[in-house]
Amino acid sequence: MSLSRIALWGFCGLLLVFLIAPILVVIVTSFDASPYMAFPPTRLSLRWYANFFSSAHWIEPALLSLRVGLATMASATVLGTLAAIGIARGRFPGRQALELFLISPMVVPIVVMALGFYFLFTGYHLIGTTPAIWLGHVVIATPIVVVLVRAGLRSVDPTFDLAARSLGANYWRTLWHVTLPSIRPAILSAAAFAFLISFDEVVIATFLGGPDATTLPKRMWETIRFEIDPTLTAISALLTVAATVVLVTIEISRGPAAPGRE
Amino acid sequence: MLPALVFYLAFYVVPLAQIFDWSLFAPHLTGKFYVQLFDDLAYVKALRNTIDISLLTTIIALLLGYPLAYLMVSSSARASRILMLLVLIPFWTSILVRSFAWIVILGNNGVVNRVLMASGLVGRPVALLFNMTGVQIGMVHVLLPFMVLPLYSAMRGIDRNVLQVARSLGASPVRAFAGVFLPLSLPGVGAGCVLVFLLSVGFYITPAMLGGPGQITLATMIDLMVNTLLNWGFAATLGVVLLLTVGIIFALFSTLMGTSRMMRPGGA
Repeated sequence: MSLSRIALWGFCGLLLVFLIAPILVVIVTSFDASPYMAFPPTRLSLRWYANFFSSAHWIEPALLSLRVGLATMASATVLGTLAAIGIARGRFPGRQALELFLISPMVVPIVVMALGFYFLFTGYHLIGTTPAIWLGHVVIATPIVVVLVRAGLRSVDPTFDLAARSLGANYWRTLWHVTLPSIRPAILSAAAFAFLISFDEVVIATFLGGPDATTLPKRMWETIRFEIDPTLTAISALLTVAATVVLVTIEISRGPAAPGRE
Repeated sequence: MLPALVFYLAFYVVPLAQIFDWSLFAPHLTGKFYVQLFDDLAYVKALRNTIDISLLTTIIALLLGYPLAYLMVSSSARASRILMLLVLIPFWTSILVRSFAWIVILGNNGVVNRVLMASGLVGRPVALLFNMTGVQIGMVHVLLPFMVLPLYSAMRGIDRNVLQVARSLGASPVRAFAGVFLPLSLPGVGAGCVLVFLLSVGFYITPAMLGGPGQITLATMIDLMVNTLLNWGFAATLGVVLLLTVGIIFALFSTLMGTSRMMRPGGA
């Protein structure tokens, strides 16, 4: 290995430490018994985990986030998958512009989206309700579904659809028996990401939640801003482990292909 | 297709239109909120902070991300896949969790300050939180993957034989890299920089959590206007400024580069 190569590995090693270490430090800290969030922990304990699971202050927001996340996942996956198929297989002018429009919420700052939702839902008296947060989350989760399913469709030969149609299957039969099964991995990973986006989302949940609908990230956010509660380290550890498990599962289920392959 | 369009119209286009509406009518047509942009010192400060933070984040992320992306494309498939996973894990870890992690690490009692004090480099804790340093560290940490992924995607498209050819024609390794590889990777550099800049401009969580009162940005100012000062009209006007900034950059860039090059996660 050449000297420049060793230097490159060294530099990138440090960079990866910078990327990963903060998360690891929080996970280790979560086992500290003291309320001072010490690293390394002086005495090990699971008290912050116990605190999370035993207090309604934390568990109820977590359950709400779970419900909103699942509802968002279902809606965004259906909307986004159908839209992606429409773009990939349709033959109409302006498809490119339409695709751009469908993924454009990804670049709109979340705080701007939250502001728009706030104005919209104030008019319908939906501030402080779960449906408001759910609808907002579907808007920001659908683009990622469109992108991922669209990428999945690129790797599938569209002539399979044509073959099914020419053998007498109608549009919906073809969709259900040919197109959708062929992009199953893409749809599954899109669904997982849609869930994660909703489950982690703070800004929309904070703007729209009001005093009554508090998701887990909203509760964490309020806690961080006004006091520091070490229970946050336990929750952070749980969230990170959950996200990592989802991600690694997706990565493994994609098979031995290079990551991010089309 | 149709359900998505109807949904977008109702819950994406209409809310954005309402922001324009609120910025212009109070309740009659008025330009007063836009006039306020020019003589509100807090706004000028927020604008300057936003630009400073975004530019610096973009530059640092590029300088750090480029070597990493290069290592990913020039390593074995296995190493490259592990590196990708190490980049993606923080990418999909909650931004809230990652920003909170920095509070734990950079605080006066945090591990960084305790190491610095134990080593005798400093006599008392260095202020790393609730100031520009904290915001900058947090922003680079959150946005670095957004730089690495487009860079990786662009670099993977470069035929590595061209480097061999340059070398065999007598170019030094440095020259082969600077004269051949670097120019070919520029589309990825453009995509990564635009993406990171766009995301920085509208970023809310990290500046709000790791910055102090002096680090107010356009995004945190919107929150302040809506949720604390109840000045909806001015909040909407700030939203328009942010939206137009992002929209113009995105439109310019996507016409220059082709639609979705920058929007494919995982370099897909």
